[in-house]
Amino acid sequence: MRLTLALHPVTGLEFADATRLDGTRLQVDREELRQLLLKDRRLQSVDLETVCPGESSRVGDIFDILEPRAKEPGSGADFPGILGPYVLAGQGTTHVLRGSAVTVLDEGLPRAGGKLLEMGGEAGAATPYGALHHLVIIPHGVPGLPRHAFQNALRLASVTASVYLARAAVRRVPATIEVFDLEGPQVGGREGLLRAAFIGQIHGHQHGGEADEHILYGSNTQGMIPVPLHPNEWLDGAVVLSYWNNHNEETYFYQNHPVILELYRRHQAGELTFVGSIATVAASLEEERDRNCMVAAHLAKWTLGADVVLLTKYGGGAPHADMGLTARLCETMGMRTVVAVTGSAGDSQAESALLFNYPEVDAIVHVGGNGIKWAVGRPERVFAGTPEAAEALATLREVSASRVCGVANAQGASKVSITVY
Amino acid sequence: MRVVHYLNQFFGGVGGEEKAGTSLEVHSGALGPGRVLEQALGEGFQVVQTLVCGDNYAVENMDELSVRVLEMVRSAKADLFVAGPCFNAGRYGVAAGALCAAVQAELGIPAVTAMVPENPGVDLYRQELYIVDSGSNVAAMRDVVARMAHISLKLVRQEPIGRPSEEGYISRGILRDELVERTAAARMADMVLAKANEEPFESELPVTVFPPVPAPPPVRDMSRAIIAVVTDGGLVPLGNPDHIPLSAATIWGSYSVAGIDNLEGGNYEVAHRGYDTRHVLEDPNRLVPLDVLRELERAGVIGKLYEEFLSTSGLGNPLGNSRRLGREMAQKLKGVVDAVILTST
Repeated sequence: MRLTLALHPVTGLEFADATRLDGTRLQVDREELRQLLLKDRRLQSVDLETVCPGESSRVGDIFDILEPRAKEPGSGADFPGILGPYVLAGQGTTHVLRGSAVTVLDEGLPRAGGKLLEMGGEAGAATPYGALHHLVIIPHGVPGLPRHAFQNALRLASVTASVYLARAAVRRVPATIEVFDLEGPQVGGREGLLRAAFIGQIHGHQHGGEADEHILYGSNTQGMIPVPLHPNEWLDGAVVLSYWNNHNEETYFYQNHPVILELYRRHQAGELTFVGSIATVAASLEEERDRNCMVAAHLAKWTLGADVVLLTKYGGGAPHADMGLTARLCETMGMRTVVAVTGSAGDSQAESALLFNYPEVDAIVHVGGNGIKWAVGRPERVFAGTPEAAEALATLREVSASRVCGVANAQGASKVSITVY
Repeated sequence: MRVVHYLNQFFGGVGGEEKAGTSLEVHSGALGPGRVLEQALGEGFQVVQTLVCGDNYAVENMDELSVRVLEMVRSAKADLFVAGPCFNAGRYGVAAGALCAAVQAELGIPAVTAMVPENPGVDLYRQELYIVDSGSNVAAMRDVVARMAHISLKLVRQEPIGRPSEEGYISRGILRDELVERTAAARMADMVLAKANEEPFESELPVTVFPPVPAPPPVRDMSRAIIAVVTDGGLVPLGNPDHIPLSAATIWGSYSVAGIDNLEGGNYEVAHRGYDTRHVLEDPNRLVPLDVLRELERAGVIGKLYEEFLSTSGLGNPLGNSRRLGREMAQKLKGVVDAVILTST
């Protein structure tokens, strides 16, 4: 399967009288986009703002961050299952506004302490999002709207705005193109190279889910068993973030999946053979866990023919344990594994950090947690869903790495590690 | 800077195993390894007192010894306390660890010891102390004492202490997040390729291996047994009367089920935010199976159901805390019940 990303660099973002790409400056017709989003009758109003690199800005609470992308007409569907019809994602040409982001806020989060975007200072320098130009979308639901319906409206707004912006680049000549072309497990002529697969969780059912929730091709993943995906499908809109997202994941890093891109790079460099990927979910019930872990490991072995498997989790403790069990089963079947874990030791003791106890799962990358904190001051600009949330954000004295989107990212982008002293 | 040094009877020159019962002796100035220590610490440091005690006496009279050593160190106006090196002498290591921990905690001055990683003193005190890895070769005394002096100097001067491998101490198991150059994805790929190629690799987190818990003897006669239910699923009466935290709980509760045959949904809530609690809220028997246990009680399959269930939240709990909660619960039930059913989520 072959996916071409047509990359259009964005080095500036501003509101203007029409939405267009002026060289590398992205200009946005604020009113046109607002009216487009307000076609969703569940939204009463939508505020739109811009936040750019180097600014002293703080934004929260974050529902999701996406990279603006739009399919070349005739070469597929945008976010199939959510916006577009069921056309397999990951083929044809997709236009990308590289350097920009659509950042959607959630006014309905009942608590302070959610995910935020920090553009300035040390925290801003430590997150890849600090280098992006963000169009910040602040949707306000109509009174009385059920929570799940509001979340569904946030999801639709996020993908709608992403495609709307990137259509400014369609029919323009990209600055560069990137080609993602993998034959899959049947690939030949690469004898002697280790065959690598990726198993990624895309949801954890310990907090349930909503009937109208979109995660994988528009499905809410209820009752899902692991499925093989071509790596390009992740990159091209098949997967979006679930509503249970107060962790270190965003749709942006499905579109730019660090593990998938790393395996692609090493495949192209002849260091290994990237044979494919598997999407799975962490379970709520014991029998679902046993089934999902077993099926994921078997798919890696018998469908993909993997020698090595890289695993990531989605969310907290139960997904951590599911990932560990899946890795153990892979090891038992003769595949070598590495897992990426988040910080779980409330007492900063190594003995509390792992939620599994499998001697064979001994290659563990740590993406960080609450161990890094930055002192912060009042930023010049604050954007939030409500005035109360804005005040709470403005008066923060300290932020932990786990709150700042992108720093302790669990999809593989994290540049946090851990040392045992 | 004034240093007090602790040695066992062997290194203190009193004698071998036959002198292990010797009680605490106090010498002014440095003795044996203490002279090497004084030299390694350099100018401005003086071993003002050496405390020597037999290994048996020390471990058999630990509390009394601690009190006396604390008095000595306090009255010597010490800036630093050093014990050992103990190499693989187990009783020596345990005593040195205990004394260092006591001095550090009570007097607030740095305390350093050294032993092999397998010494039982390491397991007991590694989290609290900087314990230099001495290796088992006593002939390397000079090198080991030099490393102890190196750590001691840093502690006295309040300089940051680097990684265990750089500084030569045994890992304390304390985790610190750090920013690095490479993404987690790149580190994952490197690690798994090294692992598959059977090349050396270093896991960022150590694999924790726990000793197996020995199984208790089986219940001989269930029809006479008193059975209790303990859960870490956080079931509590409505209002959470003990205020059990929803994660990292530091307390547990015990709730009467006397005269109750069936736990009604409306009477309970869940102090736990790590799982989908809807099924338990609807029917708490799904977590604390009172309904079926009452049936078994009536049918004579079990002797009697204990009249309270014990509950806490098992979410995000540090192991040290979990161990304490477990010990406290076991204390309440030991000798009272014959068996416990543990339910989790």
